[in-house]
Parts: sequence; structure tokens; C-alpha cells
Amino acid sequence: MSAAITARGVEKRYGSLVAVADLSFEVEAGEILGVLGPNGAGKTTAIRVLTTIFAPTRGSFDVAGSPHTCPTEIRRIIGVLPESAGYPERQTAVEYLRYHARLYGQSRLGARAVTKSLLDEVGLGERSRSLISTYSRGMRQRLGIARALVNEPKAVFLDEPTLGLDPAGQRQILSTIRRIAAERGATVLLSTHLLAEVEETCSRVLILSRGRVAAQGTVSEVARQAAAPRSGRLRVPREHVESAIAALQAVPGVEAASADGQPGLLKVTLAQTDGRPPEETMNAGLRALIEAGIPLLSYELEGARLSDAFLAMTEAL
Amino acid sequence: MSSARLALLIGLLLAFAPAAQAGLSVSNDRTAIATKLGHKFVFHSTIRNDSTAPAGGLVAHLNVVDLSGHTYVDPEDWSSHRTRYLAPIPAGGSTTLPWPMNAVNSGTIGVYVAVLPRSGAPVPPTTGPTLRVRIQDRKTLNSGGILPLALGLPALLGLMALGVRFRRAR
Amino acid sequence: MVVVAGQELRDLWLGGRGLVLSFALSLLLSVISYLVATNRALNFLEQRESVNLTLQVAIAVGALLALLTAADAVSGERERGTLESLLVTPVSRLEISLGKLLAALSLWAAAFVITVPYVWFLARGVGLVGNAIAVGLVVGTLLAIFLASFGFLISVFAASNRVSLSLSLLVLLALFVPTQLPSSAQQGWASDLLLRLNPMTAGEHYVGKIVTNGHAWSQDISWLVSPLIAAALFAATALVAGARFTRLRGGASG
Repeated sequence: MSAAITARGVEKRYGSLVAVADLSFEVEAGEILGVLGPNGAGKTTAIRVLTTIFAPTRGSFDVAGSPHTCPTEIRRIIGVLPESAGYPERQTAVEYLRYHARLYGQSRLGARAVTKSLLDEVGLGERSRSLISTYSRGMRQRLGIARALVNEPKAVFLDEPTLGLDPAGQRQILSTIRRIAAERGATVLLSTHLLAEVEETCSRVLILSRGRVAAQGTVSEVARQAAAPRSGRLRVPREHVESAIAALQAVPGVEAASADGQPGLLKVTLAQTDGRPPEETMNAGLRALIEAGIPLLSYELEGARLSDAFLAMTEAL
Repeated sequence: MSSARLALLIGLLLAFAPAAQAGLSVSNDRTAIATKLGHKFVFHSTIRNDSTAPAGGLVAHLNVVDLSGHTYVDPEDWSSHRTRYLAPIPAGGSTTLPWPMNAVNSGTIGVYVAVLPRSGAPVPPTTGPTLRVRIQDRKTLNSGGILPLALGLPALLGLMALGVRFRRAR
Repeated sequence: MVVVAGQELRDLWLGGRGLVLSFALSLLLSVISYLVATNRALNFLEQRESVNLTLQVAIAVGALLALLTAADAVSGERERGTLESLLVTPVSRLEISLGKLLAALSLWAAAFVITVPYVWFLARGVGLVGNAIAVGLVVGTLLAIFLASFGFLISVFAASNRVSLSLSLLVLLALFVPTQLPSSAQQGWASDLLLRLNPMTAGEHYVGKIVTNGHAWSQDISWLVSPLIAAALFAATALVAGARFTRLRGGASG
């Protein structure tokens, strides 16, 4: 299956200022790619290039098979929620969506039908005939998402969709985004600086820093790229603490095992130069405990979080 | 002064006074015109040179005068081509000029043509006979009829604007 | 283009702004025509001059409204943050530009329609209705196209909406100033040339000759040349510029 979005060495330059450099990635249909980066990393510029607002200075990309040299074709098959999108205050949501549906070539009847269904889908059905000027920020974002879906896009670009929303609003938007990918099969490119959003929603992540790709891959792949301390926590019955420590320390790849304050709680530090994935070493430790007849009450592999990777990579570049 | 001396003085004055343009005469094709307010009319004046020499360097000028005493006359309103510079008129020849005019006010006006030398020599101009023009008044503007329009149209547009605003606000 | 123009027209007229502006114009024309109609000393020529004045006011206001609406077309969308959503649709920039220009010109069309009954009332007594309406339509349309296109052009390149509107108004004032000069200052070949080159003064002059002086249309036809050229040139330039340079950012960095 060919990738839904492919970028090859995309660059956007303004004179001597390089806003985006050597951007290359692939996203499959139905995937949600999170584009992470601090402010000024080039996320919005990258999205604007991919959505044909800006022409790339160098490189190429295609969306669902349409090359970047055919911007009109790309615009037919994408939906976009720009960062800080504005809305016409004197229009109602119905008028606004119908207008955009017609811009994509829908007939009047077709526009009417798709407008109603989208507004219901994003939870604006009851306020559809109110002026947009009366909408809250969350409602406007939902309207924006509805607009981004009005043409049944193959790829949806969402630039900071939860910006300025309260936690409930953020949750609602993220839930909608997951539904877009799952139910519509659309590829979603979600630009954000909120790591939690990416961890919760995205199957793949791309970290941008100063216009360049710092890391990309699945969330766990990217997290693992950070040079973060790797450790785990186990809980065993307190009478087995000593024997558990002894069993764990005998496992290759375990650097240290010790009691960690609370009764029965052990901290296990894994060797960094081991070469084995931390999950494998931890599994070996768990097997050792089982073989020693020590009951395991709980365990958790710590460290190598996405936030660690993000901070490490964006500070390094 | 005795009558003989008075006659001698007049004779001397006449003898040494600048002579009118000898041989020139101006005539009109009509003596009177009746028209209505706002209409255009035309008359023609013929300038004849009855002298034995060609007459050149002449300019003809149209004048408009209020005869009724209560008609406002601005000559430029009545005709925008009031001055004509004439080609030389051969001896015994003539030239005819049309004078298109607009009847811009009601009343009675007198119109005459004067011909004078372009050199500005101090000779009396040769004038044609006065053309008497009577302009009949007619009502061109119904002042009372403006109110329905002046009030009605803004009211209609204002109501429409308010209606749209209320409809949007609901 | 039909979709864009349709929505722009709806925003302008059903949103209420167009009707408010039309109401203001009708109020102005009502005052003028009432004062004229109740003036008992009005002579025939002055009545023609009143018709001329009414037409000149309508043309000036209608063209002004078209200019200001067009000057907001692109720069206003940029500032309101609605331009990007429009640019990511498959509608071409040319269609967007054409739709917005047509919507701006609708204000001139409305101004003209509103003016017709006033001109009819004032001109019927002097046998001038048809001629006055026709010349007002021709000259007003040419000037409205010129000014709307000019305003749109500024809007495409202006760094902000405030710059766009200010610059448009400034240029309009500059074009109108010569009409207010005393006639003594309008003598001489240089002055005559400038008056002919300026589409506003040339148009105003042409309307005046037809309506006030009763000239035939062909008599002063040379005065229509600059309004015609200005309308055609600026309309073409505005559409080309709109198609090529309508961008997310205005100004030099755009």
C-alpha cells in the first residue's frame, strides 16, 4: 500500500532563514502522525507547505498520490484546520459549512446534507443556526474540524487543534481525531507541542527542532532514542524482598536491584550499555523471580518517556 | 451758444468722429421667436459687406438682454458659442452665422448681434436688429411630489436594514 | 466563482452592511432632491445642474463604496484569519478574486438603482431622464470598475487592512481634488491634459457636458477614453495580481 503522505527532502527558505529543512517522512493511510516541536520549530510552516499554502523551496511531496506540482488536486483531497483559524462572525455554522462544501464542488442539496451530518457529528447540531460570533473557542475548533472534513478528505492536517481549550475540550477534540482516522480511514497529521496529546492519540511521531527532523518513528521507538535512565519498579511480599533482590541481581543486564522505601517495593536499574531492549532484560528478571517462587504483586518499566526524548532532542539541535 | 455755432460744432464732431465700419450691415432671418422653457432655438444673422473693399479681421458677438426686467440672464447659460471670428468678407459679399440657443428661463429677452474689428479700433460696432424672444413658462418640477420619494425610499431601505439585523440576531 | 461571489454578496447584503450603506445614500439623495425641488427660483439650467449634481453624488458615493469594499477583500480576510481556509480549497485564486470584485461592484449597482427614481423626478421636467440615466450608468460603471479594481489591487499587497483602506482613501481623494479647483485653475493645455488623464475628472466632465450642456454623446467622447482605459487596465491587473499574489502574508514579505 503506498503511503498516504510522502515527503522527500522538503525545504522552505525565506532568504537566508531556513524555516524547514530536509523534511522527509511517510505516513500510511489511517495513521495519525503527531508532529511535535517547540514554538518556532517549523511545524506550522511544514503544514503550510504540505497543504500547498506555501511552495517548497526544494524537495517534493505527495498526498494520496497527487504530487506537490498539482496543488489543486491536493486541495481537493485534503482537509485543513489551520492554527488560529478565524471564522466569519456574521455567518452561522450552517451557512459557513455549506459555503465550504460548495467550494469543494458539492451541489446545494449535497452541501445541505453533509453540513447537517457533520455538525451533528461534532456536537454542534443544536447550535448550528447560531451566529459563529456566539461560539466558544471549543465550539469554533469543532466547527473547524467539521470544515476540514466537509470534502471527505483522504488526509487531514490539524495544526494545534486543542490550543486554548480546557481539558474537557481537549479530550473531546482528541476523541474526534481518533474517530476520523478509525472510522473514515483518513490519514491525520496532528501538529502540537503537547506531548500527552501525541502519546494518547498518535501512532507515529515526528519531532521537529529548528526546522529539522530530530526524530521520527512510533512513540516507543522515539522514546527509546532518548538517553534516559532505564529502570523498573516491582512490588513483592515484604518477606521476600531479600531473596528477590538476590534473584534479580543475578540476571544479566540488571545493573542494580534495591529496596525503594515502601515495604515490598523494589527498584531495578537496567544496564545502559547492555544492548538488549529493556523489556527483554526486565522479562528475564521476572522469569528469575517466578523460578525462585517469589510472588510478583506489580511491576512497571520506567524511563525512556516521550517527554524525555523530546527534551533531549530539541535541546541537542 | 447760438444755433449756428451749435450746428457747426456738431458738424465738426461728426466729421472727426471715428467712422462706423463703412459698408457693413447685420440682419436676422427673424424678428421674433416664441418658444417654451427648456427648448432650444436657432436664428441666423447675415453680415453683408456692401463696401468696395474686402472686410477682414472682424468678430461677431451675440448679446442677450432681459427685456421684462425680472428675468435672470446669464448669457453663458443661453448660448455657449457667443463669439465668432469671421473670415474676410469680399466686397459685395456676405456671411451667414447660425446662433443656437437654449431657453433657460421664462420671460422676454432681446438678442442682438454686434460686429466689431478684432484690432480693437475705436469705432462703433455694427449691430443687427434686436430679436425679441418670448419664452413661455412651463412647470418642470413638481415640488410637492418629491416628498413620497424623499421620505419613502430611505424609510424602505432603513426598514429592510433593520429587518435583516433583527433576523440575524435571532 | 459563482459560489464565492454568491457568498460575498450574501455576507454584504444579508449581513446588513450593504443595506445600511444604501440607506445612507438614499438619505443624502433625498436631502439634495428635496432642496432642489422646493427651490422656486430654480431656472431651467439650474435644474439640469441639479440632475448633474445628483448623478455626480451617486457616482462618487457608489464608486467609493465599491473601492472600500474591494480594499477589504484580501487584507481583511488575512486579518480576520479566514484567508487560509479559503486558500486550501480547490477554488482558484482567480475565481476568488473575481467573486470578491463582483461583490464590491454590487454596491455601485445598488447605488445606481437607488439614484434612478431621484434622477427621474428631477430630470423629467427638462426632458433629460433617459440621457441622464444612461450616461450615469456608463460613466459610473467605468469608474466603479476602475476604483474597485484599484482597491482590490492594494488589498492583495497591503501589509495590513488599515494600510489598504487608508491608501485607497488617499488615492480617491487625490483623484477627486482637481474637481474642486476653481475653473481659472483648470485652464491651459497642461491642466486640460491632467483633467483628461484623471478618470474621475474626465468622467465628471463628460457627465456634466451631456446633462448640463445638452451635448451629444459623441461631442465630448474623447473624455471617456481615460475612464475606459483605467477600468480595463486596472480590472485586468487586479485579476492577474489576485490570481498570482493572493497569499497568506501581505506586504514585502508576502
